Amino acid sequence: MAFVQNFPFMSIILSLFSGPISSVLSGKKAKWLNMAVITVIGCMSGAVLAYVLGTGESYVYTMGHFSAPWGNEIRVGVLEAAMALFFCVIMLLSMLGGARERLLEIEESKQNLYYIMVNLLLCSLLALIYTNDLFTAYVFVEINTISACGLIMIRQNGRTIEAATRYMIMSLLGSGLLLLGICFLYDLTGHLLMSNIKEQVALLHQSGEYHIPLLVSVGLMSVGLAIKSALYPFHTWLPDAYGYSTLSSAAILSSLVSKGYIFLLVKIFYRVIGFDIVRDSKVVNVLFVFGLAGMILGSVSAIREGNIRRMIAFSSVAQIGYIYMGFGLGTVSGMIASIYHVVSHAATKSLLFVSASGITDVSGDSTDFFDLTGAGYRNKLAGVAFTVGSLAMVGFPMFSGFISKLLFAQAAVESVNKMLPTLIALAISTILNAVYFMKTVIRLYTPEKKAALEKKNFHSIKMWDQPSKSIALICFIALNILLGLSSDPVVSLIRSGLKMFT
Amino acid sequence: MNLANLLHNYEEAVAMILFGIGFSNLLLQKNLIKKIIGFNIMDTSMYLFLALKGFVEGRKAPIVVDGVQSVEAYINPIPSGLVLTGIVVSVSVSALMLSLTIRLYQRYHTLDLDEISTQLKKEGL
Amino acid sequence: MNTWILLPIFLPIAVGIGLLFSSFRMHLKMTGEGAAPAAENTNLIHGIAGAVLGISAAAALVCAWTGEKSVILFYLMKDVPIYFHIDKTGSLFVTVMSLVWLAVCIYAFVYMKHEGEEARFFGFYLVVYGVLVALDFSGNLVTLYFFYELMTLSSMPLVLHNGSREAIMAALKYLFYSMCGAYLGLFAIFFLYRYCDTLAFTAGGSLNQALIQGNEGIVRIAVLAMVVGFGAKAGMFPLHAWLPAAHPVAPTPASAALSGIIVKCGVLAIIRGVYYVVGAEFVRGTWVQTVWMTISLLTVFMGSMLAYREPVLKKRLAYSTVSQVSYILFGLSVLSPTGMAGALLHTVFHAFIKAALFMTAGIFLFRKGKSRVDDYVGIGKEMPVTLWCYTFASLALVGIPPTSGFISKWYLAQGALQGDIGVFRYVGPAVLLVSALLTAGYLLPVTMKGFLPGKDRSVHTGKETIDRMTVMLVIMALAAVVLGIFPNPLVGYTSEIAASLM
Repeated sequence: MAFVQNFPFMSIILSLFSGPISSVLSGKKAKWLNMAVITVIGCMSGAVLAYVLGTGESYVYTMGHFSAPWGNEIRVGVLEAAMALFFCVIMLLSMLGGARERLLEIEESKQNLYYIMVNLLLCSLLALIYTNDLFTAYVFVEINTISACGLIMIRQNGRTIEAATRYMIMSLLGSGLLLLGICFLYDLTGHLLMSNIKEQVALLHQSGEYHIPLLVSVGLMSVGLAIKSALYPFHTWLPDAYGYSTLSSAAILSSLVSKGYIFLLVKIFYRVIGFDIVRDSKVVNVLFVFGLAGMILGSVSAIREGNIRRMIAFSSVAQIGYIYMGFGLGTVSGMIASIYHVVSHAATKSLLFVSASGITDVSGDSTDFFDLTGAGYRNKLAGVAFTVGSLAMVGFPMFSGFISKLLFAQAAVESVNKMLPTLIALAISTILNAVYFMKTVIRLYTPEKKAALEKKNFHSIKMWDQPSKSIALICFIALNILLGLSSDPVVSLIRSGLKMFT
Repeated sequence: MNLANLLHNYEEAVAMILFGIGFSNLLLQKNLIKKIIGFNIMDTSMYLFLALKGFVEGRKAPIVVDGVQSVEAYINPIPSGLVLTGIVVSVSVSALMLSLTIRLYQRYHTLDLDEISTQLKKEGL
Repeated sequence: MNTWILLPIFLPIAVGIGLLFSSFRMHLKMTGEGAAPAAENTNLIHGIAGAVLGISAAAALVCAWTGEKSVILFYLMKDVPIYFHIDKTGSLFVTVMSLVWLAVCIYAFVYMKHEGEEARFFGFYLVVYGVLVALDFSGNLVTLYFFYELMTLSSMPLVLHNGSREAIMAALKYLFYSMCGAYLGLFAIFFLYRYCDTLAFTAGGSLNQALIQGNEGIVRIAVLAMVVGFGAKAGMFPLHAWLPAAHPVAPTPASAALSGIIVKCGVLAIIRGVYYVVGAEFVRGTWVQTVWMTISLLTVFMGSMLAYREPVLKKRLAYSTVSQVSYILFGLSVLSPTGMAGALLHTVFHAFIKAALFMTAGIFLFRKGKSRVDDYVGIGKEMPVTLWCYTFASLALVGIPPTSGFISKWYLAQGALQGDIGVFRYVGPAVLLVSALLTAGYLLPVTMKGFLPGKDRSVHTGKETIDRMTVMLVIMALAAVVLGIFPNPLVGYTSEIAASLM
């Protein structure tokens, strides 16, 4: 066994243990530890990715030398390694971008607690990505929820505590359903490892026995994870949680936490049930309908929102809708489009959150739409970054969003029944996106009168006043343009990763 | 699905009914404490379900006291292990929820989540 | 030699972005603490813009008239290159665009003095030119779409130049309609991507006959979607409403550019889509053609009627554009070589004529500060040269021989009469004739009232100021007339294009 093969396990353990270590460190040291851990894990994931690409097949890593049906396993393929790498990059950039806000908004004595939560979150995300065991996945889903809740409420004000409570309640409903689904499946198949369950499910499907319980369990798991990742009717906690928590939390929550659940759902579809069986069940149609509703109604809510951060949060609801719509198409190309959208949305949404904070910084910390007039001139980089993010969200050519829309539409054309609703919803949602994002961008570049500026006491920020945020923004912009201009490597990576899943 | 089947599997049916009770409490109750109780009922029903599945009539727990017997003599220990893991998870989550509830109560002197929302709007946050 | 294509595309874009940065820096100085607002160095800006536009236009023309060339820029996705290819249609369009763009630029040097923010205006003006050249040279449908969207985005700031609420709403309307249209176009591209051998433009189309067997209905819907969608840019009913909203608020050079050139991009996109990807054969005699002819004729008539009732001159000209561009679309919809030649001729002539008309309106506005037609009574005594130019341009638009409009309308009517299009053979020319009368009815009263104000009006007489604006106007008006007196080379060239397509 090559030494590289240990890396996934090591990265989970590393982030898990850096949590407790952070608790005895000072805030500053904890921050550096956290940065170092994320970087190291990113490098390790990169190495794993290179290794898996080299061998061209996935491998299974047994934990504690208990072999297949009893032991716990980690399974690593191209998609897993690539996701781990990508999540590390986004997390590192989000942490960089929000460093200043964390110092300002979190109490001095609680600084290090924040990094415990981030490390635990990273650990649980990695575990969700790599694990081959359903019950382990459930446990880490809960750890993920708890640490995400901590990230929301660490900035202490009434809103965040309320948002955290609402988030917890919705999450608990979701994980309850997930657990029920897992227990059903365990009951039906007698296994917890994904590959074993899949064999049994295939047998059951062939024999036609237990058709309804199987359907119910797939439905429960999908709906549970959909609730947790804020699919449309279950999104009520989201705007407050993203809108009022500290910046790096909002960026991480929007771009990573929900994506971790979505990735788990992809794994359940492919590795546990088998994609053909999922497609034949009607579960995907339910996801499809909710996805479509989310795409449109999320955008409508965003248009009506006057607070820029809540607006971005509502746009997340719409984007999650896109992802579930792609699942709902029930084709491989729909799946590829959705996973690509996971990547592109993560890159774009964290960019938007970080740049929005740069914009509100120069507008007297007001998130109100009208105070943002001319902010693009007061903070140049943030203005440009917000524009790039908006264009990517709208799906202008050259940016990542365009490619994902292209992929979605191509996938839609392949499926006869769902083609029209998909394309129409895509069109409406694109146009609605354009309305509210362009409205904001124009507002940013409408010059404010000098007198008004002095009255409101707005100041401007130069690019290198906040070096860490600027670096994060530049990296995010580069990432977006890169994804938009040469999507082919990423798409083929996803395609080969999905092939390895089966 | 006939009634006889249901009666035969009455333990599972009870577990599912409990799950329903817990789920709807967690979803619909306004009072935060009741919500937490609902959550606990929901999780407990899952432990009941798992424990039921792990129990086989006439077999013993896999603890070797009087020499190793055949595999047939013991039950599978994994479901029990799952129950234990589940309990740990739900305890930690309940603790977190309770601490959140205390925070909210200290600030707003109510346990009603909707009322807290209205108070927040009044604060203008 | 092939890579020289990139010069006229990227030079203006790069310099334009440079100018935008300089405008941006100036705003920073204005919003910065204490610093006095710096005056723009207009001469420098004009020098740069003029020189760059001159060089690029020269390069574009040299590229266009030295044979066919192609260059692949990069691959957007697998099998989807961003690809430039120069053919006869592209050469024709790029020539017209470059000439009008250059003339309007020189006109704007004077005009923009009273609008201010010249660095920003000329910055975007250059960027749009680069994008337009790219659009004309694009060699496949995806490239075309790519630059089509970029054109919408980069030309939007020209509309909202003065930053008033009205202007922003008009710009958003422009964006909204263009996005709706572009999305319909994209929708068609997805289908054609599937049913065509290649999206690269090939004369006569590249539909895969084997694939479309049995799917004709859906491909026809896609073709109609494309026509209506790209027709939005060309001001075709039902997506025409942005034109009359955008023109009055935009600075006159921007209106001239929009009306003369940018609407033609919609025409180009339709030509590319219908004649170069789908192929005229596929559309001929189907319901798509009937619908297309009906809505274009409807737009011709409706535009003229609305223009007839409109008191504000710039808005009247905008409605006139709606009507006249649909002449072109009608010519295309007939799907006969003569009609196509007529459409191409009208594209060329209308560009010059409409630029001249808007320049007149701009000069009136610039010197008098009034925008309604009633305010221009007696203006001929004051500015005879300008009004004479207006009159010649109007006559050309109406189609009085020997001006240019007569030639193109003759070919359009001939095309309709010869075409195998049922009842439209008579309805078409009749509508064109009625609309021509209406055109005379809404354009010529300005001339009549201008020269013959009646006795009871005290008319201010003085020497007319002749500056660069007037010179450019005279050149445009002369072009409109002279092209009608010596039309043969152009007629030959357009007939050649038309013949190669059918």
